[in-house]
Amino acid sequence: MRRIVAAVVTAISLGFGPQIASAESLLNVSYDPTRELYRAVNEAFSAKWVAEGHEAPKLESSHGGSGSQARAVIDGLKAQVVTLALGADIDKIAEKGLLAEDWQSRLPHNSSPYTSTIVFLVREGNPKGIKDWSDLVRDDVEVITPNPKTSGGARWNYLAAWAWAEKNGKDPKEFMKELFSHVPVLDSGARGATTTFTQRGMGDVLLAWENEAYLSLQELGDDQFDIVTPSLSILTEPPVAVVDKNITSEGQGELAKAYLDFLYSPEGQAIIWKNFYRGWDTSKADPADVARFPKLDLVTIADFGGWKKAQAEHFADGGTFDQIYTAK
Amino acid sequence: MRALVNKSPMPGFGLGMGITLTMLSLVVLLPIAALLTYGFSFGPGEVWRVVNTERVWAALYLSFRISLFAALFNLVFGVVLAWVLARYEFPGRRVVDAIVDLPFALPTAVAGIALTTLYAPKGVFGAFSRDYLAPLGNTLLGPFGLHFSGKIAYTQWGILIALIFVGLPFVVRTVQPVIAEIEREVEEASATLGAGRAYTIRRVILPALAPAALTGFALSLARAVGEYGSVIFIAGNIPMKTEIAPLLIVIRLEEFDYAAASAIGIAMLLISFSMLLVINLIQIWSRRRIGHV
Repeated sequence: MRRIVAAVVTAISLGFGPQIASAESLLNVSYDPTRELYRAVNEAFSAKWVAEGHEAPKLESSHGGSGSQARAVIDGLKAQVVTLALGADIDKIAEKGLLAEDWQSRLPHNSSPYTSTIVFLVREGNPKGIKDWSDLVRDDVEVITPNPKTSGGARWNYLAAWAWAEKNGKDPKEFMKELFSHVPVLDSGARGATTTFTQRGMGDVLLAWENEAYLSLQELGDDQFDIVTPSLSILTEPPVAVVDKNITSEGQGELAKAYLDFLYSPEGQAIIWKNFYRGWDTSKADPADVARFPKLDLVTIADFGGWKKAQAEHFADGGTFDQIYTAK
Repeated sequence: MRALVNKSPMPGFGLGMGITLTMLSLVVLLPIAALLTYGFSFGPGEVWRVVNTERVWAALYLSFRISLFAALFNLVFGVVLAWVLARYEFPGRRVVDAIVDLPFALPTAVAGIALTTLYAPKGVFGAFSRDYLAPLGNTLLGPFGLHFSGKIAYTQWGILIALIFVGLPFVVRTVQPVIAEIEREVEEASATLGAGRAYTIRRVILPALAPAALTGFALSLARAVGEYGSVIFIAGNIPMKTEIAPLLIVIRLEEFDYAAASAIGIAMLLISFSMLLVINLIQIWSRRRIGHV
């Protein structure tokens, strides 16, 4: 018995001990459509970190619905870094005191190292001739979008459509009500909605993150779907933040900060462009990655008075989205 | 404790009862108690206010109604299936017997995605239903003013199919051993005494089966009411139409509204508990009427 204990202790001190002591680990809690992005980021950042003379870090990324990921962190998931779909979700974590309430001002561009927008994915050749938001309420058109109650991406979809209606002299609430009467399925997340549209053949148009739309083209072949960019959409800003309270050592704090700073570096931005997000810095990016995005009119969440206000008005219990479905 | 129970000649009661109570408390009672305390810490009035909205009632009604249909379907076809498996020898019986358990083992989300693939308008059954079942159904139902669009996935039909799928093994597995135990001699005696087949089934076999069948029905119902994973993929999740109560709980959680989520949870718990209580009372009544089997 004693010999076994001694052997185990030796094994630990020789084999695992030093690693635990010096290699820092980082858990990045993110939302659904960033799987591919952070797989690439983690690899590149790890290489850079080692090249700078550090021990290879243990980087882990967890993906899921943005809201449930935020809830997991609130309920005690030890994420050192959160990279979520909406500022509102990180606000909720900040409300619990896990990071400073002014987190969004700590990094450039509202703490969003990459942005995206909402576009339409239609079937090859655009058989229904869908060009803009007004086409979505035509009698012969079915729209696929996830549920704004459970999906961060869907909230951006909703606000983009709302903004278009407002700018085009329509009663936005009536327009949204009509739009959602053309929605046959409300999936709980963005990936589910993409599957419903691409695999199940439901609907004529999918409201999607631009990066998801390009990813679908890449994965499923651009001979099956086309991307339609509407005249007006919304600038989606998925923000990132260090969760201060979950940092256990100085080294880990440095690692977390370097990890997020890397997203803003020219190398990090190149990966971001490559993964179909709109970055800020094009200096190292492949020009082809940058050139693929068309210019369009973009409103921002600030036009809705920020996430706190938008969340309460549109998506909270009894908000405009609920009214669409319960009002007789 | 010792004073409360009769001394049994069987050893190990104290230890056994201790383990039972501890495990039951840790695994079942504590989480439920936590839900109740959390929910009622806002006061019963608040719980009622959250539950008493059109949307929540629609979801609860949908969940319990379709679960009831699914459990009834499973009751009838589960008993038939169990009967065939217990009474007849046929090639491949063991394989069929093993297949019955699959819904237990399959992650419900996988089941949901598989069912959706099959029943979506583009899927094998979905297309069949749209092209053949819908015209047929409308010829038959049309005169009664009913309409069947042929759509299964993303309608209440889809929810029904998912709930039948996850609940079927419960009825089969509770009824099967009972059927195996009913002695053929009893049926033969009934036949020699001049009873017809239908009479034998009604007066000899069904009474013996009833308690087990009811247990299976209750289990299947309970499973269906709480089912989430398989349903949300096939349901379409349209509020007031195909939105199940468990999804509404998740939606409230996504709004970080823990109080509302637990209030709906409590409502489901209370309704389920009363339904299971009624089923248990029927069981006791049926046992008393036909004696212990």
